[in-house]
Amino acid sequence: MELTGALPGLLLQVGLGVGAAVVLLYILKLRRRPIAVPFSRLWEAVLKDKESTSLFSHLKRFLSLLLQLALLALLLLALGDPRKKVQKSEGRNLVVLLDASASMKAVDVDADMARVLAGDAPDDEVRRECQPGSPELERARELGVDCDCLWMTPEGARLEAESPSLRSRLDAAKDEVRALVAAVGGADRMLLAQMDATVTPKSTMTNDPVELGKALAEVHAVDVRADFSEALRFAKDALRGLPKAEIVVVGDGALGAVGSDVELGDVKLSFVPIGASERNVAITAFSVRRYPLDKSRYEVMLEVANTGSRDEDVELTLCGDGLLADVKHLHLAAGESLSRFYPNLSGAREKLAGRMRLRGGSFDALPSDDRAYAVLPERKRARIQVVSPGNMYLDAALLLDEYLDVTTVAPKQYPAPGEFDVTIFDGVNPPVAPKSGHLFYLNPGADNVPFKVDKELTSDAKYTVGFDEVDEKSPLLRYLSLGDVHISRAHPLQGEKDDKAVGKSFRGALLLQGRRQGQKFVALGFDVRESDLPLRIAWPLFVLNVINDFVEEDTGYISSFTTGSVWHLPAPASVEAATLTLPDGSERVVPVKDGRAIFLGDTAGFYALASGAGSAAESSRFAANISDPGESHVAPAAELVVKGVTAGTLERFTVGVQPEIWIYILLGVLGVSAIEWLTYHRRLTV
Amino acid sequence: MGVLDLFRRAAAPLSRRRSPAQKEELFDDEFQRKLDYLAMVSKRVFTGAIRAERRTKRTGSGVEFADHREYAPGDDFRYLDLHAYQRFDRLLLRLFEEEEDLSIYFILDNSFSMGFGGGAKLKQAKRLCAALAYVGLANLDRVAIVAANAEISGRMQSTRGKARIFRVFRFLERIQADGPTDLGTALRTFVAQHKRRGLAVVLSDLYDPAGFEHGINVLRYNKFEPFVLHVIDRRDKSPPLRGDLRLYDCETGEEREVTVTAKVLERYGEAYEHYLEAVRRFCVSRQVSYFPADVATPFDELILRVFRRGGFLR
Repeated sequence: MELTGALPGLLLQVGLGVGAAVVLLYILKLRRRPIAVPFSRLWEAVLKDKESTSLFSHLKRFLSLLLQLALLALLLLALGDPRKKVQKSEGRNLVVLLDASASMKAVDVDADMARVLAGDAPDDEVRRECQPGSPELERARELGVDCDCLWMTPEGARLEAESPSLRSRLDAAKDEVRALVAAVGGADRMLLAQMDATVTPKSTMTNDPVELGKALAEVHAVDVRADFSEALRFAKDALRGLPKAEIVVVGDGALGAVGSDVELGDVKLSFVPIGASERNVAITAFSVRRYPLDKSRYEVMLEVANTGSRDEDVELTLCGDGLLADVKHLHLAAGESLSRFYPNLSGAREKLAGRMRLRGGSFDALPSDDRAYAVLPERKRARIQVVSPGNMYLDAALLLDEYLDVTTVAPKQYPAPGEFDVTIFDGVNPPVAPKSGHLFYLNPGADNVPFKVDKELTSDAKYTVGFDEVDEKSPLLRYLSLGDVHISRAHPLQGEKDDKAVGKSFRGALLLQGRRQGQKFVALGFDVRESDLPLRIAWPLFVLNVINDFVEEDTGYISSFTTGSVWHLPAPASVEAATLTLPDGSERVVPVKDGRAIFLGDTAGFYALASGAGSAAESSRFAANISDPGESHVAPAAELVVKGVTAGTLERFTVGVQPEIWIYILLGVLGVSAIEWLTYHRRLTV
Repeated sequence: MGVLDLFRRAAAPLSRRRSPAQKEELFDDEFQRKLDYLAMVSKRVFTGAIRAERRTKRTGSGVEFADHREYAPGDDFRYLDLHAYQRFDRLLLRLFEEEEDLSIYFILDNSFSMGFGGGAKLKQAKRLCAALAYVGLANLDRVAIVAANAEISGRMQSTRGKARIFRVFRFLERIQADGPTDLGTALRTFVAQHKRRGLAVVLSDLYDPAGFEHGINVLRYNKFEPFVLHVIDRRDKSPPLRGDLRLYDCETGEEREVTVTAKVLERYGEAYEHYLEAVRRFCVSRQVSYFPADVATPFDELILRVFRRGGFLR
């Protein structure tokens, strides 16, 4: 016999404490209720008889104390969960790793769906379309979005979630685990863990079917790749020191290679395969960017792949802000991956989404990777003050961006009323007035500037002034080249130690970038009209790059994140937490550190991040995609190999009746207590 | 509202007149109507229509024949019954009852025990006392009432005539349960204060720690004719007690710890019955009129039972 419940030391402490309390209560004299009687002499005869039995009463009282102490001892024994050693050693200890990665959302487990995926049956029974009169179409009309793009709205996603869905691989895996839980014997113990980008234990090591059932219900699939190595490490740790340790992996087997540090040792590995079909097409990449020169327009890059073993004809749909933007038909050979560009698009302001489906009304196994999402970078209106006697080239370059609010003032009228993000000094250098924002100097003079202006440099027959050396990685020179610009006259610029010479001639810097007390400046050491730069496409690009750099419009904007990784989302540095709205509409508070909100995303779709309150409130949107070709390979593995060892099949449990001794002890205690209670109230024992 | 009530209201001073709603419930209209009825019944059944004299036990110079007894030397020859001598050849002396008005003393126990349990016993005792007093007053007997516990705690002087019943009422209404019981001591004081012997009606539960016999014997030894109206409350027999209790006497404060079980209650009930039997046996053996008066029985029914049983009226 061995105690498998509470530790003996703990039981001893509890027993001593409660036992002492019981004895104390018996030692304390009972405070009797005072009752008046009309004539106490009448009780004397009765009480004389009672006194003769007082010794027996004391004995009964002592026996009652012994009974209470015996009941206490039995209760403590029940808490200890005594079991026979033989019974305990027969039990198995299992850690069930339930794969909840994106590929487990594949819907190929139903027999009808499997026949459709195999091309053996029409898909009319499972296909859902925006037919006239359908709730999807009605809802799309109410929302004012295109029916084909309804799914990219939260309401559309909710509508799909509420409609009857096909059984997924995860549902089938849950059924397998449910059967496993039902077969677990009394001596066996099981821990259930969800395996995705992290490992989440959902239950304790138990054989309680209720707890395991609840844990199973909490498991849900997410749009990430499973970290199998981490899951095995966790399982190994959980099983450390336990006899008959066993890891059971329930999933489709698309788990990737295992890290070199994972050693299973003598822990048995079993595999329960799930899944039937490998037919799948996916959008494996999706990004969007605005054109630098025309930010009202944008281009989209898509990468699609056929991970199945048969050729597929697919229909690629692009939606912008709920409206259909483009439809393409593609032919994808087995295992082929194609990239497609959608250039020169316009119309959408914020959300873009792509959707792919098989032509001819067929289906692939994994619908969740048929969609991809992206958010266009937000446009900011920049307030520009131009201090210039007149410069046609500069005016023309500023006209290219409709998001610029340009105010032009003569040098004598500087400063113009109001506050500006950027002030451009064209050939003039007056004292900088407050509220001028960042400074862009064109051909500056020597006074009132934060750098030194050297002597004039002139082109001659031997040497043409130009940019002999440029920093190509500078955001000021993104998408442009200044290498062959010819300049008639220029003034080399000398900045301080931390200033950066973005473009240099052999005599000195001609393009200087720096910062003084938080105020940025960029200086160009020549008059553009005395060069061929304004005649090049590089001129307006350069002007807009400078302005973008000043107003911090992120030209390196990420249009979508990848699920399964930790996202660092831009947020105000002054806040410590922000509210993140997930694609399903639920909200979650995420921490903000050093101006970045940190979140481990596991669902593809559109997100919204809100921070601050009142006038300081800020919000931004972003998108997340699976973008994992590995998860799109949904072909189920027939076997699972870890470090060259093939996982075995799950052995059947030995179903035996193991007596739970503590239950009988507890029933005995209850029975004795009931008898004692009845006899007490019947005054048989008092 | 009864006739007596109207009379009382009319006779009372204005300041003391009370509305019917304020009247003491103990002697309400219904009670007074029953008194009238009981007075009539007592006359019809026991005394006839003659002037309501009471006859003492003493034989003497009365005109009404009472009994014969054997002649003894020294007896008055004039009372020899010659007719009996001729018929039976025995000398028998004719005895006549001596007529005199009878003194009736009502000794009402007003100890704490009489007020125990809501005062049902004291209330019943007061009603019985009032009813019997009314009968006595109606028969032109001299009626006096004393309240006794460990001493004489209240006293109403002897009075005669039906109209004095309101004085009886007022006296009884003032009596409250108070003090311990010691009938022996109290009645010794009583006999010392009342030289004129007569019927002494003791209305008590006889819960006397010193023994109920003492009080009755004091009356007997001093030539009073005790009439014991034993007021009984059957709830005393089976009190609603259970569990571990500390019992204390409502009069003496004496405490006893007891665990009351069904068996203990059963034994207590037996002890109670033994006590009642002991009282009854004592009275019977000493030729003391004894009548148990249960508080659950209506007082008028009890009075009628007293009349039928005899001992109060002769």
